[in-house]
Amino acid sequence: MYHAIKERVTELLSTGEVKGFLALKKDNGHIKPHLYVSPDEIDQLSIGDGETAGDARYPLTKILTMLLQNHSGEPFGILARGCDQRALRALAAWNQISLEQVVVIGVACSEELARACNCGLPYPDEWLEGEQIEPKDPRPVEWEAKSPLQRLDLWRAEFEKCIKCYGCRNICPMCFCKECSLESEDVVTKGEIPPDLPMFHLVRALHMIGRCVDCGLCEEACPASIPLRALYKKVNDIVETRFQFRAGIEQTEQSPLHKIAEPPAAI
Amino acid sequence: MTAQRVAVLRDLLEFVGIEGERLNLVWVSSAEGPRFANEMTEFTEKIRSLGPLNWNYQWAVPDSELRAANPSK
Ligand code: SF4
Ligand code: SF4
Ligand code: SF4
Repeated sequence: MYHAIKERVTELLSTGEVKGFLALKKDNGHIKPHLYVSPDEIDQLSIGDGETAGDARYPLTKILTMLLQNHSGEPFGILARGCDQRALRALAAWNQISLEQVVVIGVACSEELARACNCGLPYPDEWLEGEQIEPKDPRPVEWEAKSPLQRLDLWRAEFEKCIKCYGCRNICPMCFCKECSLESEDVVTKGEIPPDLPMFHLVRALHMIGRCVDCGLCEEACPASIPLRALYKKVNDIVETRFQFRAGIEQTEQSPLHKIAEPPAAI
Repeated sequence: MTAQRVAVLRDLLEFVGIEGERLNLVWVSSAEGPRFANEMTEFTEKIRSLGPLNWNYQWAVPDSELRAANPSK
């Protein structure tokens, strides 16, 4: 399986075009991230077999960010789905990685996966496996249909389940800050769960402005099954409506909200 | 930028069911004492009229039907 991908990775590794290739590996029936450094292991390469979100993916772009930062100037390859491609582009816009160091091998997602992910763009720029599936409405329409009072109650019930494990932040490819507001005692009281409502979740949501690439990993990671995706989908929707900006899609720049305005000519 | 960020936050508050009017942004210089007092009084009055947040669990169904929209859970 995935013959085309394996062939291309083998080529990249044997010609030395990349120092390593970051993808998934099937090991004892489990899928895990793996850095391929020699063509010998290629048989174990997996693109993630699952049809539902949760057993098919890992935050590969997050691992790649660490790799590139520790091997400056050296080229690496990565297996990328639509969300990974968006993350790569957004990470580059934020100067976390340099795309010149990255060789992308794309996979388009299956219809099942795209549906499970509620995905607004389930394919990368180019791909070697898979087919182009029509994207879904990227807005959290089911929430918008509720009244404000219903939403307030429902969100409170959801936020209260939070055990403050920081899983959502830790898995997010776009959460790369060295110092995190969610650990600042001015914002979030130490030693208390659930964390301050609704501050904890809204602070993170606000920090995702122009950054969230709508990959859904946060929601998959959340042990309390909080529908975080809906919250960040709303953030993305607000940013798109107000500023015509969707992080990681075409744009190679930071969002208009993050640019410092040009200083006036005469100072 | 601040004005735009506050506008985004206001939309977000509305989304979680909190009235956007509970958030206010005004620029007041240190030379504008009376203006500051006015703004504060007006805003306090507005918040008072809105009352406390109406978190009453009337609709809350944990693991609600909203999850149905997300078959991965
Ligand atoms: S979020 Fe979209 S691109 Fe990413 S795995 Fe899911 S369907 Fe594929
Ligand atoms: S969907 Fe979640 S994990 Fe993915 S970029 Fe947005 S906030 Fe981060
Ligand atoms: S992953 Fe879920 S439980 Fe953990 S901190 Fe985030 S929202 Fe809270």
